[in-house]
Amino acid sequence: MADEDEDAPKLRNQEDDEIDASEETQDFRFLNNLHAFDPGNLSLPKRGEKDFETDATNLQLDTLEASRQAMHSVLSWTRVHKDKNRILGMYHAESNMAYVEKAKTQMFQTIGRAKGGKEWLLPEEALFLIERGSMDCRWPVKEEEGETANIEDGAPMSLQGAYSAFIGFEEGVGGKLTLEMYNVYAGLRRSGYIVFRTGSWDDDFGVLRTDMTEPKGSELQSQGSIFYRFFAEIWRRISTPNRNVTADGLRFGPLVKPGLYRNYADIYRLLKIVPTHDRKAPPSFVLPADRTNPYRLHFDVYKTGTGKFSKARRGDPDFRVAVISARDTPLPTSSQLNDLLATAPYSPPDPANKNMYARLKHGTRNVILAVVDNGLPSYINVADTPFDGERLFENSLKPFRGKGGGRGRGGRGRGRGGRGRGR
Amino acid sequence: MAPVTEPFPISRIASRYLLFDVDIISHVRRNHNMCGLLVGTIPNLSQQNVFLGIPLELMPEEARVLVEQGAAYIVDDAQAHRQGFMEMSREDRLKFLQYMDQQGHEKAMESKRMTEQRTAKALSAKGLKPKEEENPPVDPELVPEPYRDVTMPQFRPNSLASVKPVEVKEESLFDSEPAATAVSAPENKIVPHFITPTTSHPPLPKPAIDHSIPLPVVPKSYSLYRYVQSKGYFTMPGLRFGCNYSIYPGDPLRFHSHFLGTGLGWDEEFDLLDVIGGGRLANRNKKAYLIGGEDPQVPKESVTSTEGMRVFSIEWVAM
Repeated sequence: MADEDEDAPKLRNQEDDEIDASEETQDFRFLNNLHAFDPGNLSLPKRGEKDFETDATNLQLDTLEASRQAMHSVLSWTRVHKDKNRILGMYHAESNMAYVEKAKTQMFQTIGRAKGGKEWLLPEEALFLIERGSMDCRWPVKEEEGETANIEDGAPMSLQGAYSAFIGFEEGVGGKLTLEMYNVYAGLRRSGYIVFRTGSWDDDFGVLRTDMTEPKGSELQSQGSIFYRFFAEIWRRISTPNRNVTADGLRFGPLVKPGLYRNYADIYRLLKIVPTHDRKAPPSFVLPADRTNPYRLHFDVYKTGTGKFSKARRGDPDFRVAVISARDTPLPTSSQLNDLLATAPYSPPDPANKNMYARLKHGTRNVILAVVDNGLPSYINVADTPFDGERLFENSLKPFRGKGGGRGRGGRGRGRGGRGRGR
Repeated sequence: MAPVTEPFPISRIASRYLLFDVDIISHVRRNHNMCGLLVGTIPNLSQQNVFLGIPLELMPEEARVLVEQGAAYIVDDAQAHRQGFMEMSREDRLKFLQYMDQQGHEKAMESKRMTEQRTAKALSAKGLKPKEEENPPVDPELVPEPYRDVTMPQFRPNSLASVKPVEVKEESLFDSEPAATAVSAPENKIVPHFITPTTSHPPLPKPAIDHSIPLPVVPKSYSLYRYVQSKGYFTMPGLRFGCNYSIYPGDPLRFHSHFLGTGLGWDEEFDLLDVIGGGRLANRNKKAYLIGGEDPQVPKESVTSTEGMRVFSIEWVAM
């Protein structure tokens, strides 16, 4: 069973559609022609037709009944392991984890960690493998009368048992996995992402990321010959007026001193006197370590399909996810949010990206909040957006060149009016 | 589908309320107009998020209504499993393993039959005759349902010893040496499959009602939930629409939702902007915004009665 659906995401054809089929309850009758023993050619069904309200016709009742029957039969599918490709796991009560002695399928490229000749699975990983029907997990054998206990002698762990153990026993061993976190983990795995825990979860507080490596491309200057640079410097001094206005100078003199100005940008630059927060600096205030602070990073999420993935050298994740329960957690305080963002590394948007709004949305640090309401997740991106880094006066120089000012302005005015009506 | 006797158990795991039994899930859907939320992965369909499977997560409100009506009771599942499996005696374990072997054998037979049927079908589609084998093609009517329907009622942890081992024809699974779980070289090469059962019953007995377990803790919107539930509406969590519940006129399998409900306290003050925002969002999605609260002064006949509820439906009309 495990071999038919390895991690290659072959069922993901709904991404092209604008409608997210998972948003509504879907009609299980679509799965009618599938059978547990016939997973040969699965394809995702199209969105179902629904009615507005009950009209008490037999047709409607019959359709509903058929849907319910289909749902019942799909939910009755049994998890079966054939002997040759079965993954046999053993529950380990002290750590609330599971281990597999022989990890032979590709699945373990994205799951588990090897230790002491065994492949150890975190609770969410073990539970997911059981739930998707890949692993036959056994309860440990109670030690009696010196019996040599093989894994196979343990009682099979049911799905219910797996939830009870990996979620229910978790608090007893000091673990932090909640059902919400598991829902998010499983949901992302089902969508084809590779998910690992951020850090070890053992500390009370996430590790602050203060490594501010500038991305490439910031060393554009210091090129050309020494003469070129000399004349360039002279030209710069002539063309750009004195920019270093001291605080004393600001107090008395005009912001823009009389002089030679060749463009508006120079003037705007002089007007930019409000200091802004340095995003690369480590936070000046950090909340005390608190186990109960729900706002911390939980998962590192990687996209699949970008070359070969190695779980030993994972590199920086594509997304960082913090899981929040919608029913128990209030909005984060400013300090909580600040701390949460400080645990994500400084990763400014790609400067080559021409779209300013995309750059702003990306932010210098970003975290995805997965808000789970009773099993139903919604994902929100929280970004620290460097508005001060986007100098609009430098971007918007182009319309002033070439065209006559009046005409250009008129065109822009019309554009704005049109947008105003649309909203 | 097996009938469900009330009260049925609801598993409480880490203060969440889950249902694992497919019959109970259907029962709750049909008779209590509650659909909960399927949060599990369907085996063999584990690469998509459109159809989800067991377990079903009930909202605390749903669990509370079921318990207050006497239709269900809460079971501490972690505790039950700690006792039932971590402390399982050798004898019970061996009985359970034997039982699972028997189930696995049936599964393997069924799977073989399915393969043969498929082969026969493919051959007849090409106009060929299927090769006659010693066991003739089986009428689909005779293929056993999932094993719970057939065998589970017979199983009791203590009565298993009395189950006759003749059900499995070719070889005895009840070896004296219990460590040998694999069947030794059967003639027709049926190796029993291994099964991960969905529920833990069997081998755990049906859990006893424990009155010391407190009622599910519910938010202040509970009175609104109970009210719409008592009127026959279905509800789903409302996170996607920024409300407490999306409310359906019938089973969400068949119908679109009509209301986005938010429960409020009786004298609670709230922003007019919430009404505009909620109404506009609901209208945009072809729904109506619904707010409601319960007057605490109104005397109630019982815990489950809903007098004193006032509910308003709001429709955003124009700028």
